[in-house]
Parts: sequence; structure tokens; C-alpha cells
Amino acid sequence: MGNTSTQSPVLVIPCSGIGKVHGLMSREATYLVTDECAAGRTDTLCLALLVKGDPDAVAAVRSHACITIDGCAKACAEKNVAMAGGRVARAVQVAEAFKNHRGAKPGNATALTDDGWVIAREIAASVACEAASLSDAGEVIR
Amino acid sequence: MSAGISKVGIISCSGEAIPEGTISRLATRRVLELLRPEATVTLCLPLFLAGNEAERNFAKTHPTITIDGCDKLCAKWGTEEHSGPVHSSLVVADILGTKAAGCQRSSGNASRPDQEAVWAVAERIAAEVDTILSETESPDGAAAVASGAQCSCAGPVPGGTLTIEGATVRIPGLALIFGQCAERSIPADAGGCGALLDAVRIYHRIAPEEEAGYRGALLAAYQDFRIGVQPAK
Repeated sequence: MGNTSTQSPVLVIPCSGIGKVHGLMSREATYLVTDECAAGRTDTLCLALLVKGDPDAVAAVRSHACITIDGCAKACAEKNVAMAGGRVARAVQVAEAFKNHRGAKPGNATALTDDGWVIAREIAASVACEAASLSDAGEVIR
Repeated sequence: MSAGISKVGIISCSGEAIPEGTISRLATRRVLELLRPEATVTLCLPLFLAGNEAERNFAKTHPTITIDGCDKLCAKWGTEEHSGPVHSSLVVADILGTKAAGCQRSSGNASRPDQEAVWAVAERIAAEVDTILSETESPDGAAAVASGAQCSCAGPVPGGTLTIEGATVRIPGLALIFGQCAERSIPADAGGCGALLDAVRIYHRIAPEEEAGYRGALLAAYQDFRIGVQPAK
């Protein structure tokens, strides 16, 4: 990013999950949104900046609608955005996307398989749709 | 390492916004999976805020290395602020210099420069792990043990076995090492033997007096690998 950008209307923030494939899926889904599905109307920022309490990152989540994508139920992205005073317009759980993909083998924490990319793209499409709704509804800047 | 001391903790920045963050993450994974699987453990950085007390105590219970993508040092700062002091702080940009310039954020777009960057950083982390282990190793060489919070990612990758002078030796991730050697165009003949040995030595201790035995066995296994035969498990 653009951690301080005010031109990127919706912030899509993945968890930093490094232990399981779900964290990688949240990350790759985010890039699919910001770089392909909703390029120009979405952006991301480093979740670690919020952990650090970086003033620019804090200001960014407070002034932009945020969509978080978490790999596990600990919901680090959602919780950290909320703790920074940001507004989570939608909180996505990667595990939810598996409900339509019973038995899928998405890969591991290092690399996604074709199954993993299919699910990541579904998540991305859903998030891009939500971002468009938020933008159209004028919920971008509080 | 003295009995009861924790594994070495590795905390990567998340770095979603920059390619160096992805390199940091993947290099950390490589150390956990392949280079030092028995001696390392990790935790998601944001868990210091979102997690429980055991997770917040991570750096107090593990000698910890932080890997940051940029000079904002979020992993180092976040770990020290919310968990405990870090033993070492590495920065991807410092390790790679300008080599990260052509790298990508998404692993789906990874190319050879991305892969080489990850290897370079992973090897630097592994060297730092070794430094910590050498500083804390006990005379009897007791193994590192797990304690406190950790992700479920610390399990070793499958290894390959070689027969060296009549003894069966297991090398973690041997097929992956061979794959990396092939990507680096290390030849499967006597000319590539030195480079092959160097590559394996990064992940597996080889005493000087053992080198001759390893050379022959590794070269034979690598030749098989290049024609599609996986190392024995």
C-alpha cells in the first residue's frame, strides 16, 4: 500500500496466518481482490503495522471501510482492526468458504493447490462484491 | 542446547503490502519445514494482541528471531512491545539489497528471482538459528524442546534416506534440496559434487571426515532424482 492512502476506498486486510494453509488463502484472496477483482477501489495494508500501533496505519483503518479475511477462528485481522479503532464492515472467515468444497485439498501454508486457488478466488469474488457495495453506498470514509 | 530450553522462535512480519513481506513469510516457512524443523517454532505476529497469555509470552519462553520485510521493523517492535526481548532481528531488505526489486507479493506470481530471494533469506535465518543453538548448547547436546504457545506448523517435512558406508542416514527434505539444486542447474556429475554437498550441508550436518562417503551417495541419489527417481524415504 499506500498504508496512508486516502484514494483507496476499501481496505482489505488479511490475517498474517503463517501456520496453516488458511492463512495463505486469506493472503492470496486479498491480492486477488486488490490486484485483479477490485483493483483501484480496494487496497491492503500490513496487519503488523497495526500490531505496532503505527499512526498512519491506525488512521487508515479509522478512515476507510475495512474488510478483514481471517484464516482461523482467532480472527487476528478482525480483532486487531477493531482494537485499532477501525470499523470492520465485513469479517470473512476462510473456513466458511470450505463449506461448498468438502474434501478439497487446498495445499499447505507455503503453496496453494488448484483447489486452494479456486477457493481463494471465490473468497476474492465475494469480497470484491462487498467492496463494490460499500463504495456505492458511500460508506468508504466515515 | 540445555535440556528444557525452548526451541528457537521465528516471528515473521506479515508484510502484506510489500514483496519483502511475502519473502519474509516464505523464508520463515522454509526454515520451519526444511532447514531447521526440529529446532524452530513460530507464531502469527498479531496473536500478541489477539491471542491468549501463552501466546503473549512467546518471546519470554523462546529465544526469538524476528524477520522484517522493511525498516519499519514491525515484527521486532511488536514482539518486544507485546511479548519479550528478541535475540536477533533480521531485515529482508538488508539481506537482499536490490535483489528484491523484481519480486512479487503473491506467491501465485512467483518466479525464479522470488525463489532465490526466499532461499537466501531462509539460509540467513537458519544461520542465525545455529548461532543461538551454539550459544545455548549443553555439553551433552540435548535437543531443543517445545514449550508454551506455538503454531501447528513446526512438523518436519518428509526426508530422504541415503546409505553411506553401510549406515542409513536420513536427510530432511532431501527431494526439495535436490529440486533446488536442479533449479540452480547444478550438474548431476562429478563437476556438481561440491555444490551438491554444500547445498545439503546447509540442512544436514556433515563432518569433514564423512564428506567422501556423502559425495558418492549424494551424487548417485541426485542422478536418480534428475531422471525422475525420488530419494528413498
